[in-house]
Amino acid sequence: MMIKTKKGQGSILLISVLLLILWVIPAQAVIEGLTDTTANPIFNLTAKADHITTGEGSSVLIWGYANGTARAQYPGPTMIVNQGATVTINLTNALTEHPVSMVFPGHDVVAEGGTARLLTQEALPGSTPDNGEVTYTFTATEPGTYTYYSGTNMDLQVEMGLLGAIIVRPTDFAIGTPSTFQAYNDEVVDPNINIRPDSAYDHEYLYLITEMDPRIHNLVEFGRMDEIDTTTFYPVYWFINGRNFPDTVTAAYAPQLPVQPYNAFFMMHPGQRMLIRWVGAGRDGHPIHLHGNNFSVIAKDGRLLSTDVATAGADLAYSRYTQNVMPGETVDAIFTWSGYKLGWDMYGHPPGSPPGDMEPFEYALDHGKPLPVTMPAVGTFTAGALFSGSPFLGGSGFLPPGEGALNNFGGYFYVWHSHHEKEIVNNDIFIGGMIGLMVVAPRNVGVDIPTMPTL
Amino acid sequence: MSHYKNYSWLPLVALLLLLGAAPAMAHFNEQCPPDTDGVDTDGDGIDDNDHLCIQLGSGDGFSVMADGKVQYMFGFSDYGGLKNAGGDPNIQGATPAERPDEDDPELMGNMWNDSTNPGNMLGANFPSPKIEMREGQMLYLTLSNIGMMMRPDLFDPHTVHGHGFSEASSTFDGVPGASLSVNMGSSFTYFYNLFEPGTLAYHCHVEATEHMQMGMLGQFYVKPKQDQLVLRGLISSESVQGFTKFVYNDGDGATGYDVAYPLQLHSFDPDFHDASLEVQPLPFAMMDDRYPMINGRGYPDTANPADLINQEGFAAQNENALITATKGQRVLLRLTSMSTTDTFTLTIPGIPMTVVGLGSRILRTDGDPAGARELIYTTNSVSVSGGQGVDVILDTADIEPGTYFLHTTNLNHLSNHNEDYGGMMTQIVIQ
Ligand SMILES: [Cu+2]
Repeated sequence: MMIKTKKGQGSILLISVLLLILWVIPAQAVIEGLTDTTANPIFNLTAKADHITTGEGSSVLIWGYANGTARAQYPGPTMIVNQGATVTINLTNALTEHPVSMVFPGHDVVAEGGTARLLTQEALPGSTPDNGEVTYTFTATEPGTYTYYSGTNMDLQVEMGLLGAIIVRPTDFAIGTPSTFQAYNDEVVDPNINIRPDSAYDHEYLYLITEMDPRIHNLVEFGRMDEIDTTTFYPVYWFINGRNFPDTVTAAYAPQLPVQPYNAFFMMHPGQRMLIRWVGAGRDGHPIHLHGNNFSVIAKDGRLLSTDVATAGADLAYSRYTQNVMPGETVDAIFTWSGYKLGWDMYGHPPGSPPGDMEPFEYALDHGKPLPVTMPAVGTFTAGALFSGSPFLGGSGFLPPGEGALNNFGGYFYVWHSHHEKEIVNNDIFIGGMIGLMVVAPRNVGVDIPTMPTL
Repeated sequence: MSHYKNYSWLPLVALLLLLGAAPAMAHFNEQCPPDTDGVDTDGDGIDDNDHLCIQLGSGDGFSVMADGKVQYMFGFSDYGGLKNAGGDPNIQGATPAERPDEDDPELMGNMWNDSTNPGNMLGANFPSPKIEMREGQMLYLTLSNIGMMMRPDLFDPHTVHGHGFSEASSTFDGVPGASLSVNMGSSFTYFYNLFEPGTLAYHCHVEATEHMQMGMLGQFYVKPKQDQLVLRGLISSESVQGFTKFVYNDGDGATGYDVAYPLQLHSFDPDFHDASLEVQPLPFAMMDDRYPMINGRGYPDTANPADLINQEGFAAQNENALITATKGQRVLLRLTSMSTTDTFTLTIPGIPMTVVGLGSRILRTDGDPAGARELIYTTNSVSVSGGQGVDVILDTADIEPGTYFLHTTNLNHLSNHNEDYGGMMTQIVIQ
């Protein structure tokens, strides 16, 4: 009975992915956000109201942090700074009735200006840089993945969208120098000794998860604040980086999603290491399942998993395939995939193919091994929109009319999603919600996602 | 049994509706090539028996909840049994002396141990058949889509998606949008090189919210090569604390056990299942699971060793969750959950739990047996979210004989819908 819905969603997905593929051009493989590599980065944020678009096309009022005079964002700008920097965040408030603030778990913050309230200094409605602005200052002492959110009336304001992520780069990190890409200061002396997890990566992605109960947003929109009861919170939307599937796989900064700039589309080549920075930014935990392989959990709340990070502590990274990311928590994981020991040659090299024809990271003992099974005849299967038609990486094949064909480069597509499958739905309409896509692309296809200019 | 409706007339109607198309659509085809590589890959010393061929059917059926409520479900079933390429219909390519012991609790619900399942219409099992595999085997897993008898309006394809396989290609990953799904009346053979041991799980990924809530899920587990090497005397018994069975290739017996119980956690929302049977709109947003279960049953059915027979006379729920052990034994609980809604925390008052594995890997650095040993820990509760797996060992050396209870600490789930004293709980009997 889902057939009708599926067809409709399929065409949305088709357009989204087409947009995305067209956008793929070589660029810096870093997380989208506001990067400031100076010793004294300053971010000017304003709390504002705006509307997001949900995966099935509804419009929902949100409150979000905006970068200066830009529109609000859901989530707020990802602020990326260097370890040791003295970070300043100036907050003003363009909301008409509600004071707002910011808290920064994991950082020792000095708040000045505005009005003193229970948790921190608040910016009153209508405050401006000249009048009532709050300044938060902290030193980014330790690298890692962090979150920030409103410290005012949090049960309502976090639900409304006042939240975001902070990334602190380790000391040796240098933009544009892949050999320095690591999440923590963890130079591995000998990879065969279990000392501290290895956080080096080729690609990094943010995976910030939230959920939403639109009834609350509608009451705010209509000014019926007295009727809001956040204790009856019943989410029906689930987001990755502020978007529902299929919008998650539309390009970052897509013009039709002006309030939701970040996507959840991840790419890598075989053999590369991908860093996933999970942020539990909502109210519920969500078990995020990564298709394709197990991953190693290397850090939590901005600290490497080790008995002693400063010295030669034991490496306490553990392997699993589903991570339950809890509210307020950050988790960093390393995912790799090379097709190791598949038992067949995933590049489709013929039997007897010389070793010189091997691809980088190809498992030598599988080189030239044929596919162990016969692929089924047309008519006995339904091809996915992202199936190339071939079992081989970089391959293509004959598909039934009207099926497949979006994946003309022969990539291996994987869904990375909440495994509480109730959450891969957009307000009662399957399919949607908390689903991102990861692609292992053949080496001749670029895997770097375009980014917007930074500050 | 006031909830006990008999739907046996409905399949006839459905069959009549299907008759025109069915004969032409029957293209079931199991691929099971012989093992001719001349290499012993699973460590049992035999070169030509390493191909493991399994055929699952996908379709629908009925299960009975502990309060008597009949639930329509989608599910997998044993279809054609398990065989190796040599044609032995019973066993995973081992010598006859190693045939599974019918009394071994670890084989409870295993498809080759189940003679009641005809693999026909309305033959879905809940949970789906447990499948025991062995590290080093090549898995040829054929899915034959039988079709949904009670829903002749549906022509849904199905797939098998596994949790815990290393380095899965998207070709065999079972995500319909990213590869292919199996049409009704047809077969597809998935291939996996089982080079890592562990507790895995599987489910259908087509319209995943619906097909998983409806029950298309089960557990795999892959026994480590270390079992074979100890059996053959190639690893000394002393070096592994005298154990003969292990969860992982630990090298030191840290995951050794005497008796194992594979436990699949899940939960049903009765409104969803009723809506499906009655061809009503499915309540996705309102999904609210009220039948929490272990191995397809709520308490007290969990502790009932008998098969549960549904109104079709079929033992759809042919697993139980009664755990028995002799004082001094180490008891392995293989816990996997496929709940589409809830995280369940489990406890056993009176018996500590040692967590030795997570996500189908040993709990050492990066899941590597050679990794740091500080990670294995002993606790009194473990949490399992949908899509997760945990390996827990109970050491009963210091446990007095008696009856203990494994139960969820999410106390609202200690019920079978409106009936209290039920749900996600079972008995552990130490003799
Ligand atoms: Cu299915």
